Amino acid sequence: MRRLLLFITMMAPNLAFAANNVALSSTVFLEKTVADGSGRSRIILEEPEMVTPGDRLVFIVNYRNAGDAPASNFVVTNPLPAAVAFEGGADSAQVSIDGGKRWGTLPALRVREADGRWRNARPEDVTHLRWSLKQAIPAGAKGKLSFRGIVR
Amino acid sequence: MQSASSWSIRNVQLLHVVPLVIMTATIVFSSSANAAGTVAGTTISNTATATYTDPGGNPQTANSNQIDITVDELLNVTVATADPGPVAVTPGAPNQVLSFTVTNTGNGSEAFDLSTTTAIGGDQFDPATTSIVIDTNNNGVYDAGVDTVYTAGSNDLTLAPDQSKRVFVLSTIPGGTVDLDRGDLDLTAVARTGTGAPGTIVAGQGQGGGDAVVGATGADGVDRGAYVVQTATMTFVKSASVLDPFGGSKSVPGSIVTYTLVATVSGTGTLGNLAIGDTVPANTTYQAGTITMQGSPMTDAPDADAGLFASNAVTVQLGSVAGGQIRTVTFKVRIN
Repeated sequence: MRRLLLFITMMAPNLAFAANNVALSSTVFLEKTVADGSGRSRIILEEPEMVTPGDRLVFIVNYRNAGDAPASNFVVTNPLPAAVAFEGGADSAQVSIDGGKRWGTLPALRVREADGRWRNARPEDVTHLRWSLKQAIPAGAKGKLSFRGIVR
Repeated sequence: MQSASSWSIRNVQLLHVVPLVIMTATIVFSSSANAAGTVAGTTISNTATATYTDPGGNPQTANSNQIDITVDELLNVTVATADPGPVAVTPGAPNQVLSFTVTNTGNGSEAFDLSTTTAIGGDQFDPATTSIVIDTNNNGVYDAGVDTVYTAGSNDLTLAPDQSKRVFVLSTIPGGTVDLDRGDLDLTAVARTGTGAPGTIVAGQGQGGGDAVVGATGADGVDRGAYVVQTATMTFVKSASVLDPFGGSKSVPGSIVTYTLVATVSGTGTLGNLAIGDTVPANTTYQAGTITMQGSPMTDAPDADAGLFASNAVTVQLGSVAGGQIRTVTFKVRIN
């Protein structure tokens, strides 16, 4: 108990300083197709206890304005882990295929091949995802962003 | 496997006071071009970053917790025969080579146990496996004394993800087999970490500390090679025609006798170093320069062409003659 008190004391100046605080939390689920025994199958999300190439992952980013003032110009950026290929499921997001230099919707982006030819960007080319919220997040408000990936 | 720090406001406040730059996902990763997929043991790390403006117009940054997932090992292997068709052999021949390609289609380095099966229905004989040899110098061809013999435990077949290795099976062909007998042989490669139905988990045994899970191949692979016996036999027919000095066919002094030697090779094999020889009969004299093979004249001298007359005998070197072919040699003598 004494340790906890000490901790809070140390944090206190920061609490006073920060008028708004947006907290982000990231979680990931493994998407599994389970046969129900009657010939049909259903998709379930579970903790990724066992992950191998080809597995489908669902990434979820929760945000919450834990402060007492609105947060404006709110932008969430999620670099895609190199071992994960983007699989969609993020309709409102902009994507980048060059490490976050240029942004756009996937159909608007082009990739230059080694032979110099240009082709349309594919989901597996995506390196970063970005969500830009138009409206400020009021104090206490929260939301959820998600996207899907497949283990390369 | 997942380890994620629990979500809390306290966490974010700590990050808040630390100067931050936009973080990229931690990449502990080698090659994404791998057909077998991400290498086992690779950590997938995910972090999201938020930027926003506070009421005072100051830019702020917040980072999420980092999620780390370790990629587990998928156990997969394929075996494929590398021979274009059944390998031709002869009865009783030792060290007859079948070639296979073993490929680690999993995503971790794995040792594979190799074995052969020869008791297979539908063929005519069972080749006796004498050794399994790994193509140590990777030239695709069996090199006796250079390529090393596979021995479980001491000379294993260990393959990196996506790596292929040529494996040779050496067999002795049973004696008593006949032309066109076929002997099948299966080579099986089994992942040492474990096999079973796809999805079977071998806890904690994956490369990089994770689990290993049996992939779609069942973590074992098998393919069939075959030997086919090819033998050849030769029949030999000698005939003579006589032309006497008067235009008839009487055998009198001065008559010219033309000997025709016909060698017929049958079967599916090939006879090597085939030679036809005939001694000039007594009371006759060889007529110089009269040797022909397949209608073409041959010289008598010991030179590059196949014909030779020496020690009162005619010899024609036919070399290798495949089954189904005929060689005809003629020469002439004069009756003394």
